[in-house]
Order: sequence, then C-alpha cells, then structure tokens
Amino acid sequence: MIREFAIVWANSGQLLNGLLNTAGLAVLGMILSVLLGSLLAVLLMARSRPVSLSAQAFVDLFRCVPFLLLAYLVYFGLPSLGLNFDNWTSGLVAIVFYNTAYMAEILRGVWRGLPRDGIEAATAFGFQGWRLFLRIILPQVFLIAAPMMGNQMIQIIKDTAFLSIIAVPELTHVASGIQSQYYVPFAAFLAAVLLYWMICSLVEAGVFAVERLARERR
Amino acid sequence: MPDTSMPPAVAPPVLEIRGLTKSFGTNIVLDGVSMQVGKGQTVCLLGPSGSGKSTLLRCVNWLEPPDQGRILLSGKLMGFRDGGVVPMNGMELARARSRIGMVFQHFNLWPHLTVLQNLIEAPIHVQGRQRDEVIGEAEVLLDRVGLADKKNAFPAHLSGGQKQRVGIARALAMRPELLLFDEPTSALDPELVGEVVAVMKILAEEGSTMLVVTHEMGFAREAADEVVLLDLGRVVEIARPTEFFTKPKTERARQFLQRYVHA
Amino acid sequence: MTAAAFMTLLQGAGVTLAVSFAGILLGVPIGLGIALVRWGEVPVLRRVAAVYVSLIRSTPLVTLCLLIFFASPSIGIDIGPVSAAVLAMTLNTSAFNSEVWRGGLVSFPKDQLEAARSFGMRPSGAFRRIVFPQLWRSALPGLVNEMTLLIKGSPAIAVVGIVEVTRAAVRIGATTYEPLPPFLVATVLYIALVFGFVCLQRVSERTYGRAGASA
Ligand SMILES: Nc1ncnc2c1ncn2[C@@H]1O[C@H](COP(=O)(O)OP(=O)(O)O)[C@@H](O)[C@H]1O
Ligand SMILES: [Mg+2]
Repeated sequence: MIREFAIVWANSGQLLNGLLNTAGLAVLGMILSVLLGSLLAVLLMARSRPVSLSAQAFVDLFRCVPFLLLAYLVYFGLPSLGLNFDNWTSGLVAIVFYNTAYMAEILRGVWRGLPRDGIEAATAFGFQGWRLFLRIILPQVFLIAAPMMGNQMIQIIKDTAFLSIIAVPELTHVASGIQSQYYVPFAAFLAAVLLYWMICSLVEAGVFAVERLARERR
Repeated sequence: MPDTSMPPAVAPPVLEIRGLTKSFGTNIVLDGVSMQVGKGQTVCLLGPSGSGKSTLLRCVNWLEPPDQGRILLSGKLMGFRDGGVVPMNGMELARARSRIGMVFQHFNLWPHLTVLQNLIEAPIHVQGRQRDEVIGEAEVLLDRVGLADKKNAFPAHLSGGQKQRVGIARALAMRPELLLFDEPTSALDPELVGEVVAVMKILAEEGSTMLVVTHEMGFAREAADEVVLLDLGRVVEIARPTEFFTKPKTERARQFLQRYVHA
Repeated sequence: MTAAAFMTLLQGAGVTLAVSFAGILLGVPIGLGIALVRWGEVPVLRRVAAVYVSLIRSTPLVTLCLLIFFASPSIGIDIGPVSAAVLAMTLNTSAFNSEVWRGGLVSFPKDQLEAARSFGMRPSGAFRRIVFPQLWRSALPGLVNEMTLLIKGSPAIAVVGIVEVTRAAVRIGATTYEPLPPFLVATVLYIALVFGFVCLQRVSERTYGRAGASA
C-alpha cells in the first residue's frame, strides 16, 4: 500500500496538472455561465411572452439532459456544424451551455423574490434599462444567490470528471492514466478524491465568506 | 395701487398638475386633479387613506402614467415630447425623473450599498456628474441630516429614523427641482418621527420646493405654505394652513380635521 | 437509425433505471441512518458521518465508480461492474439524501418531542410514531429532487463498462458513423425519465410540501 502511494507521489506533477485543468475548466466555465446566465435571466424575466417562453424551454431542456450526454452532443455535434474544437474546448462549451441554464434559473428565482421597493426607488431616481439591471438589480441578486451559485460551482467541478470520458486531461483522467500505467488504483483515485475534496472545500469557504458579506447588506 | 391689467412676468410654477385622471380598472383613483407647487413652496397633500395621494405623487414622476391630464415641471410637459403628442421613451423619462427627488414611506434604500454609496449612486450613474464633486456634496448633505458618522454603514444597520434621513439626503443629492415625500414618517416608531420632521422643516425654511403627503398635522400647520385636501380622488380644498386648520371652507375638510387632528 | 439500434437504446434506458432505482432503494434509508447519527449526536460516529458526507458530496460519481471498481480487487473483493456501479450510486445518493433528511430533522419542532417524552414514550417509539410520519412528508420533495439528480449523474457508470443509455448511444454512433441521431434519441429518453420525476416532485410538493411545512 505504501508503495502505491509512493508511485502516486512520484507522479504528483501530473496530478497537479490534472487539478489545474479541472480548476481552470471550472473557473472559466463558472465565469462564462454566470455572464451568459445573467443575460438569459433577463430573457426569462422579459415581458414578452414568446421571449420568456422560449428562454424557459431552453432552460428546461438543459435541466433534463445529463451533462455527459450534452458533452457528447457538443463533442460530436459541433464538427458536423463545421466547428472543430479540441476536447478541452468542447468540454468547456458543454460546461458553459449546461450551467448557463442553471445559473439563469437561480438568478431568476432570486430576482423574482427581490423587494420591489429598491427597484421602484431606482426608477424614480432615473435608473432604467441596462443601468437599472446592472447597478441595482444584479448586485442584490448576486449577493442573495451566492450560496446557490457556490453549490453550482461545486457541481461544475464534479461534472468536469465526466470530461475524462472524452479524454480531457483533467484530474480523473490523469488519475486513470496513472492507475492503468502502474496498476495503483486505490492510491491514484483516492488522491484524486482528496484533491476534489480540497477544492470543493475551498469553494465552500468562499461561499461562507460571501454569505457574511451578504448578511450585512440585507 | 398695483396695476392688475398686466399679468406679472413670473416664472411658471415648479409643478403644475392639470386635470389629472387615473383609474385602475374600474376604480377611479384620481378624478380631474389640478394643483400647483410654486418655486420654494412647501405644499402638504392631506387626505384619508386610499384617497389617491400616493398615486398622485407616482403620476408626477410617471411611475404610474396618468390616463388624462398634464403634468408640467417648470413649464415643461412631463411624459411627452414634441408638443405633447409623442410619449417619452425610457431614456427620456429617466432623464426627466432625475430632476425630481422622491422620499418613500418605507425608505426604499438600496441595501447592497453603503449610506454614502446610496447618495452618490444616481448622481454619478444617472446624471453623469463628476465623482469627486458628488462625494463632496454628499458628505455635506450627510452632515446636515446628522449622519456624517454613518456614511460607511449599510442601511440594515440603521434605525428607521436614520434610514429616512438617508432617504432625504439621497433625494437631495440629485439637486432636484422638486422633492416628493410620500408619508415619510408613517413607518417610523413615534419617538423617531421628530428627527425626520426636523430635517424636513429645515428644508422647507431654506426654500426647497416640496410636495409632501403626510399625516403629521403639526408639520403641515407650521411648515406648509399651502394645504391641499384630497378625497376620493378629488381636490376638496386648497388653502393656507392657518385658514385650513382654523376655519375650513368645506364640510368634508371639517370631518377630516375632526378625525385626524382633534381625535 | 434502425429498429435494432432503438431497441438497444431502450435496453440502455432499462439499465439506467434499474441501477438508479437500486441506488435510490439503498441510498434513501442509509441517508436517513446517517442523518439520525448526526442529529442524535452519537459520539464519534457523528464525526465519521460528517466527514463521509463532506467527502462523498465533493467526489464526482465518475471518480467514485472508478475507485470502487478498480480498487476493490486490491483489498481482496472482486466486485463486478454492476455491483460497483450500484455501490457508487448508493454511496453518492446516500450522502445527499442524508442532508435532506437532516434538514427535516433539524427543523422538527422540539416541543413535540418533549411532549412525547413526557407521555413516557421511548426515543425509538417517539421517532417511529411522532417524528417519522411527519419527517418523510417534508423530506419527500427534496428526496425526489435527489433522485432526479442521480438519474442525471447515472451516465457515470459507463466508465466501468456498463451499457446504459448514453453508452449505448455512443456505441451505435460508433458503428453507424452517425453519432447525432442516437444521442438525440437518448436525449428524448432522458427527458422522459427526468420529466417523470419532475412531475412526481411537483405532486409531492403539492401534496406533502405544505403539510410538511406546517407540521
Ligand atoms: N397599482 C395599483 N393597482 C391597482 N390599484 C391601485 C394601485 N395603486 C393604488 N391603487 C388603488 O388606488 C387607490 C388609492 O391608493 P393610494 O394612491 O395608495 O392612496 P393613498 O396613498 O391616499 O392612501 C386605492 O384604492 C388603491 O387600492
Ligand atoms: Mg399612500
């Protein structure tokens, strides 16, 4: 058993690489899906029925499909549209599509529950349109939605493991490689699990900090 | 004897409302309201609950677009452009609204911003004024409402009276031509009413132009230049406070005073 | 796509459902057990349970499947892919279910328990007769939500060689060189499955959500 862990330790550089890929995919995916999700939330809240209904259909569709299936659809589907991405980018595109839907749903839920008071005051003070959204609505929504967005971030981190199946060199893929090369399954995958645990705990700590910020701004 | 044949060349009133009508469904909330607020004047809008006072204020800055009638701000038509035929678009409405300051019954501060940020948010991002200048002015305003030491606090940490004083300072930071107050003390604990009324009295004395919906009869009696009584969406009486409170002209005004002053 | 390919996908859907149900059947009661250990503040075990939940909740199902499947022989038990998959699904969902159960337990009104005690009920009796009948109603919507998430995570079991819907779609695509049609059919199958659970959740929220909240 000690020998197993020694082998994994000898390959820690590879694991670190995998970890960086996982974190990079998750962080980029998070940023992009928060940006796009905010836009989609605007469409969900649109007064025009056709707009909000089609946005809702988009969200519902993605919430029913497993992430891996979506990753396959992107991986095999984009080339048939003439778009050729490498595996890493396909993986990122899948993450962003998938989580844009979730983020939009989270943000919309909070937005709907936002007190009308502050928004009405902003309107009376001459805020409207995008400025009202970006300066008054969105900051309040983000503060309240932070815990849910943190949970979603953890979900993204875990979903990246699916991308090992399309050979994206993230943490699980690297652990898989080490295990098949040296046959050290227990040590290799346990190391991966502990690393996932570490970054997820980091995210949770971040969420905790934001929650404290949010509490005094309510 | 002054010459009465020539109309005096005075500036138009800051706010002029002509024949304002507003219904929600079949409920006629405002029924042909006409009134004015002259420059530097404080006008108190009184009336029983549900008489349409809030709706009137909200029509003035087009939070509720009126059904009929005209709102003129310093002679300029609100809500329409090009001689009153084309409705203003969102941008134009926003610009027009930024000339009016509003103080709300429930303060409606922005909870994610500090006190100082609440004051400077609209002047910088709506009026596009210089940041340093706005901050300097905001600090002076906070000092005037007695909250200089709270500038970095979040609204959640303030008492009701403090929140409302921030609300007033926030409205003043817009350098508004007209200040609208919608029952600014009704949501306050009785012992906190005084600090807010005191600030409002100073504003009135200093010549701010104010339209104030209130049930604080003391304020109306002492600070108002004119009192307007609204009932069932109609103006029942317009009078100087001394006359209104001592010898009201209408039966309806007498009943109102019975309930709200002598009760 | 041929009829045979369609049948393969349907079989895959059967596998997805079977493994998921096995995970749910085992994971729901285990989750309750974990929640009770933490709620009842059982010494030592509560710490173990907390670490277990935290660890499993941050472990991807794919990684968990791989760990169990490949590492089990090295500790002397050679479990097959199906057992490995069911075990991984069970561990995964039990951790999440325990949080749902615990949420219900934590918000359970204490005075009711004290009342039960004062009538001389033993703790186990009080749990069975007073707590559980209310608890499961308030937990049901959350549990059904976890079931939906488990189904959506189930393609992970393909990494140990189980041919569930997604894997079946990959295989068909590989032989026909047209990957998209089988994926689209698989999408429809998932939507049907997940939609079934979403309906179940709405019904359970309507029927028990309020009862649970007011309890
Ligand atoms: N947005 C609205 N929709 C429908 N009815 C409204 C709305 N706003 C106000 N009303 C109605 O208009 C009437 C006057 O309300 P309001 O102007 O708030 O009176 P006040 O401020 O004098 O108490 C009330 O009957 C109220 O129910
Ligand atoms: Mg009112």
